[in-house]
Amino acid sequence: MAAVVCVATVGAAVAAAFFYSGFHLSAILAEPEHFSKLEVALLLAGSIISLVLFFQRFGPILRTIFHSKKDADFSLRPIGRRVWDFFWEVLCQGKVIRQRPLPGLAHAFVFWGFLAFALVSLNHLANAVGLGFLNPASYIGEFYFSFAAVWAVLVAVAITGLFVRRFFSRPIWLGEKLSYESGVIALLIFLLMVSYLAQFFVGSGGIAVKAWWWTHTLTLLVFLPLIPHTKHLHLVISPFTVFLKRDEFSKIPPLSGDEDFGLVAGKDVTQLISLQVYSCVECGRCTEHCPASNTGKVLNPKEIALGVRSYLNEFGPASETPLLTEARTESPDNPPAKYMSMEAVFACTTCGSCEYQCPVGVQHLPIIVGLRRGAVNTGAWEDTHGTKLFLALEKQGNALGLSAAERDKFIQKQEFPIFDGTQEYCLWLGCMGGYDPRGREIIADFARVMRHLGTSFGVLKKEKCTGDPARRLGNDLVFQTLVEAGLKAFEIAKVQKIVTICPHCVRTIANDWREFGVAPEIEHHSEFMARHKDRLPRQDSGESIVYHDPCYLGRYRNVYEEPREIVEMAGDLVEAPRSHERSFCCGAGGGLAFLGEEKGERVNQVRAAELAGTGAKVVGTACPFCNTMFRDALASMGEAPPQLLDIAQLTARALPASERTGEQ
Amino acid sequence: MSGVLVLMEQRGGAWNRMSFEALAAGQQLAAKLGLECSAAVAGDGVDALVKELAGKKLTKVFVIQHTLLKNYTPDGYVAALEQLVKKAAPAYVLLPHTYQVRDFAPALATRFRQVLISDVVAIHDGPVFVRQLLQGKLNADYKQAGAGPCFVSIQAGTFRAEDVEVGTAPVEDFAPQIDAVQIRSKPGEPFREAAQTVDLSAAPVIVSVGRGIGEQENIALVQELASALGAELAASRPICDNGWLPMERQVGSSGQTVSPKLYLAVGISGAIQHLVGMKGSKTVVAINKDENAPIFEVADYGIVGDLFEVVPELTKAVRAAKGQ
Amino acid sequence: MKILVAVKQVPERDAPISVAADGKWIDESSLSYTINEPDAYALEEALQLKEKNGGEVVVMCAGPERVTSTLREALAKGADRAIHIETNDLGQRDMLGIAQVLADAAKAESPDLILTGLQSDDLGLGQTGVVMAELLGIPHATIIMQVEVTDGGVKVKRELEDGWFQHVEMPLPALLTIQSGGNKLRYATLMGIKKAKTKETKTVQAAAVGAAPTITLERVYLPEKQKQTEMLTGTPAEMAAKLVEKLKSEVRVI
Repeated sequence: MAAVVCVATVGAAVAAAFFYSGFHLSAILAEPEHFSKLEVALLLAGSIISLVLFFQRFGPILRTIFHSKKDADFSLRPIGRRVWDFFWEVLCQGKVIRQRPLPGLAHAFVFWGFLAFALVSLNHLANAVGLGFLNPASYIGEFYFSFAAVWAVLVAVAITGLFVRRFFSRPIWLGEKLSYESGVIALLIFLLMVSYLAQFFVGSGGIAVKAWWWTHTLTLLVFLPLIPHTKHLHLVISPFTVFLKRDEFSKIPPLSGDEDFGLVAGKDVTQLISLQVYSCVECGRCTEHCPASNTGKVLNPKEIALGVRSYLNEFGPASETPLLTEARTESPDNPPAKYMSMEAVFACTTCGSCEYQCPVGVQHLPIIVGLRRGAVNTGAWEDTHGTKLFLALEKQGNALGLSAAERDKFIQKQEFPIFDGTQEYCLWLGCMGGYDPRGREIIADFARVMRHLGTSFGVLKKEKCTGDPARRLGNDLVFQTLVEAGLKAFEIAKVQKIVTICPHCVRTIANDWREFGVAPEIEHHSEFMARHKDRLPRQDSGESIVYHDPCYLGRYRNVYEEPREIVEMAGDLVEAPRSHERSFCCGAGGGLAFLGEEKGERVNQVRAAELAGTGAKVVGTACPFCNTMFRDALASMGEAPPQLLDIAQLTARALPASERTGEQ
Repeated sequence: MSGVLVLMEQRGGAWNRMSFEALAAGQQLAAKLGLECSAAVAGDGVDALVKELAGKKLTKVFVIQHTLLKNYTPDGYVAALEQLVKKAAPAYVLLPHTYQVRDFAPALATRFRQVLISDVVAIHDGPVFVRQLLQGKLNADYKQAGAGPCFVSIQAGTFRAEDVEVGTAPVEDFAPQIDAVQIRSKPGEPFREAAQTVDLSAAPVIVSVGRGIGEQENIALVQELASALGAELAASRPICDNGWLPMERQVGSSGQTVSPKLYLAVGISGAIQHLVGMKGSKTVVAINKDENAPIFEVADYGIVGDLFEVVPELTKAVRAAKGQ
Repeated sequence: MKILVAVKQVPERDAPISVAADGKWIDESSLSYTINEPDAYALEEALQLKEKNGGEVVVMCAGPERVTSTLREALAKGADRAIHIETNDLGQRDMLGIAQVLADAAKAESPDLILTGLQSDDLGLGQTGVVMAELLGIPHATIIMQVEVTDGGVKVKRELEDGWFQHVEMPLPALLTIQSGGNKLRYATLMGIKKAKTKETKTVQAAAVGAAPTITLERVYLPEKQKQTEMLTGTPAEMAAKLVEKLKSEVRVI
C-alpha cells in the first residue's frame, strides 16, 4: 500500500519536474493587472455572500457538535498515535487508497491537489485587492504555479474519473439514488482546475485573463457554501474527526452518571459521535463490508451514521425524542430514519469492518452498541431470545443457561487441575470451552499442547461468562455484575496470567474489563502456541488449510500472523478471498450467536461457502464461535465439505500418540 | 379416627385415571397399618362410576352427590369434603396429586389445621411419606406430627392402577349441605386451544430427528415412531435448515426450548445449540450410530446403533406394548 | 387496583446440593439464592396487569435479611413497593404457619388481588397460595395462565391436565397462583436498578411461632439413582424391547 502512495507521489513529482523543465519558459501564470473599484466591490460582496451562505449551514452544524454531550472519557493521549493516524489516514490517504485503490488514488489526487491549491487560491483572491504574495514571474512563483498546474491536471483527470464512476459505472455501495450534488461538485472542481490552467495560456492584462480569473473566482465562491450543505463537509471537518476519534478500536465508552443508559435520545449523543456523523461522506465502504448488509438484513452502517445525522438536524443535540424510530411518536419523513430501528441495530455482529474501513474516522460500533445500550438498559428491547440470554447470564452466569455442574463434570473428566496459585497459567474455558462439546474438544487439545510443552496450568473452580454477549448487546447491568464477579475470582485465586481459546473472552477481559478494575494479563492460544512453536511438532501433511481470521482476533486484537504460523506448521496455508483485516464475519459476534433465526441469507453460510470455495481440505479456525457457526453451515453444504479444525486441534493431532490418548 | 379414605377424582362422569393409583396406595397403606380403606367420589350423576368403584376391595364407597358439585369449584369441594371427612373421621386422606387436588386439597387440610403432604413418591413404614425437593435433587421423609386426619397426595406413576384389589364394597350416599352463595367462583367449560402452531414446549413426549436421518424421505420412519408414542415430532437445526421439516419444529437455541417427560433423540449428535433447547427434558433417550456423540452425555438411556434398524423395531415394540 | 405479590427466595436451581450435618436440611453455607421461578412469573403477571389497568404492585417476602436482595430485584423489575417480613425461623414453621405469617401481612395491605407462584422450587409443596386464600377467606384459583380484569372481578384462564383449559370468574379480592411460562419474563435493567434505589421497602416482624408444626421433615438425603447414561445393548430388536420396558416402567409414557 505504501508502495502505491510512493508510486503516486513519485509520479506526480516526475510529472512536475517534466512540466517545469520542458515548458517553464512559456508556462508562466497570467494574472490580471488591474482591478476596478467595482470589481473589488463585487468580489467583496460575492465573498461575503459566499461566507454567509457557508456559515448559515456550517454554524448550526458546529453548534450541534459543540452542544452535544461531552465525551466523559475523552483524552488526547496517546498523542503520538493520533499524529500518526492523521499523517497516514488524512495526509497519505492511506485508508482511502487501501480499500479501493483506483478511486482511492483518484480521491487522493484531488485531496493532494487541494492542498497544493491552498496557496494558489489565497493568492488568487489576494491579487484583487493588491495583496498578492506570489509573483508568477519570480523563481518561487514560477515553480509553485507550475507545480500547482501539474496537480490541476491530475485533479481534473481524477475528478473526471470519479464522475464517470459515480454516474456511469455506478457501484452499488454509493447508494441506489444518484447524488446530483456530487455531480455539481465534480463540475465545479473541474471548472476550478480548467480555469486555473487556462491562465497559463493567455497573456496578462487582457480581457481573456480577466474572464478566466472571474470564472475561477466565481467557481470558488459557489463551491464554498456548497461544502457544508453537502457531504463535502468532510473536506472541512474530517481531518479533525480522524485526529480526535476514540483511541481504541470499537471502544465502548463508560456510562457517566445515574441518568446515562446509552444512546436513548439526542441528549445522549456525544460530541465525538456528532462530529463523526457529520463527517460521513457516504462512500459506503462500511456497507460494502458489513456482513448484515450483505446478507439482506435491514442494518446498514452508513445509514446508521446518516440516521443520527438527520436526527440531529431535525431534533437537535438536546432532544429527548428517542433516537430509534419505533420509539418515536412521530416518524420523521427523512428516509435514513427507517434504518434507525431496533431490528437494524440488533442485527450487528460487531465484526467491526465498518469502523475499520471508514476513511473519515466514523466509529460505528460505539454508536450501534450505544443504541443497543439505550434500548436494553431501559428495557425497551423485547426479544425472546435476548431475554432468555440475559436471564441465563443473570441466573446461571453463562450464556447457554447450563448448570455449572456440567462444567465441573467436564473438568473432572479431563483431570484439569484447579488453579491454586502455583501454576503459571490460568486456563480460561469460557462458555464454549466449558460447555460446548466441540469447544471442549478444542480446550482438551490445547491442554494437551500445554502439557506437551510442560507449561503448568490450572482452571478456575468456578467461572462465569466474561460478559461479552451482554456487553455487545448493551446490557450494562449484567455486564458489570459479571465483570465484578470475574475480577474477584481472579483476585482470590491470585491469577497472574490467563490463556484461552476464545478471542471474545480475550478482548472482553483485556479491554472491556478495564473500566472496572485491573484484570490479569490474558492472551489467545494462537499467541501462546506461536511463541512456543519451535517446541511443537511440525507436520508435513501437505494438506491445504484455509485459515479464517476471527474478527475479535484480527481487527480487534491485530493478531494475524500467529495463527497462520500454527497453520503453516500443520499443512499448507491457503488464504481466503477476504482475509486479514478484510476477513468476513462468521455471524456469531455481538451476541448474535444466542439470538434467534436470521432474516435473509445466513452470514455463516456465506462465509463457509467462501472458505470451502478455496478448495482447501481443512478450514482452520481460531475461535470456538466461528467453529460452531461453520460447523452448522458446512454440514448443510452436502457432499464432502472440508474438515473443520481449531488451530489447537491442528497442533495436537501431531503430538505423540501417548499424549493424545485418554479421552474424547 | 381410623381408616384410610381415598378421594377419587372424576370430571363429567369420567375418571381421572390417577385416582386408581391413589386407590392402590390407599389399599396398600391400609393393609400395612391394619386399617380399613374406603373411597369417595363427588359430583353429580356419577352412578356409573360408583358402580365401578363398588367392585373394588373397599370397606365403603361414599357417594357425594349434589347439583352444586356438578362442575368442580374449590369452594364446593372443600365444603362437601370437609363434611365427609368430619363424618368418616379417617386417619389418612389420600388423593391423587392432580391439578384439581392441588386446587382444593390445601384448603381442605387447612380446615382441619393440617398440612397436606403433597406429591408423595413413596410410602415407607411409619408411615413415612417421601417427597422430592429441589426439583428431584433431594428426597425428604415427612411424618405427621400432631393428631387429626393426615392429608397425602400421591404423585402420578408412584403406584400402579393395575394393583388395585377387586372386591365388593357397600355404597353409602352422603348428602352435603352446600349453599350456592358459598361458591364464589364461576367455572367455565373446559376447552382446548385451537391448534394453530406446533407448541413443542407443552408436549409431554417429543421424538426429535437430526442429521443422521440422511434424507428427507427417511423422516417418515421417525414420524411413525412419534405417532406410535403419541409424540410431537421435532428436529435439530440442520433438518429445518434444509426445509425437511418446518422451522417451528426446531428445538435449540434458535428454535424452541422444550421440557417434555421424554425426549427421544434420533440421529442427533448433540451440538450445544441443540442441547440448550432440550436440557430441561425429564428423560432423554438417544439413538445414534456414533458412540462418542455428545448427546449420550445428557442421555438417560442410550442406544448405539443404526437408526434405520433400531427405529422400525422400536416402533413395532411400542405398538405391541400399547396394544395398537 | 392494588396487587400484592408474595415471593419466596430459594437456592439457585443449579446450586450444588449437600446435606447438612444434622441430615434435616441442606448445607446453606455456600448457597446462593434467587427468586423462586414461579414467583417471578407471578410478579411478571402483576406488572403486566398494572401496565394494562394501572394501580400498584407491592411485593412481599418472608425470611431473613438475605431476602431483601430478591425484593430489590423485584423493585428493579417494576414493583412499586416492597414488604420484608423479617423472620429467621422459617424452618420451624410448617406451611400453615408460613401462610399465616404471609396472610397477616397481606391483611394489613388489603389488596384487590394477591398473586404468587404455583409452587416453590425448593420445597415444592404447592400450597402456600391456596392456604393463604383460605386463611384470608377470599376465593382463589390455581395454575393460572392468564388474568383479565372484569367489572368487579377477574376472569382467569386455568390450566387443566392434558392440554385442557378452563375460564374461571371470581369476585375481588381474590388470590391466584400463577403457572410458569404463561408470560415471558423480563430481564433486569440498569434503569430499573437505579429506580429501585428510590423505592420504599417496609420491614415488618413476623409473629412468634405459634402452634407446633403438624408435619415434620424427618430427614433429607440424595436419591440413590444419580443420573447416568444407561447404554442398552443387543440386536436392534432386543434394544427396542429393552427401551420399551424402560419407557413403561421408569419413564412411564407408555
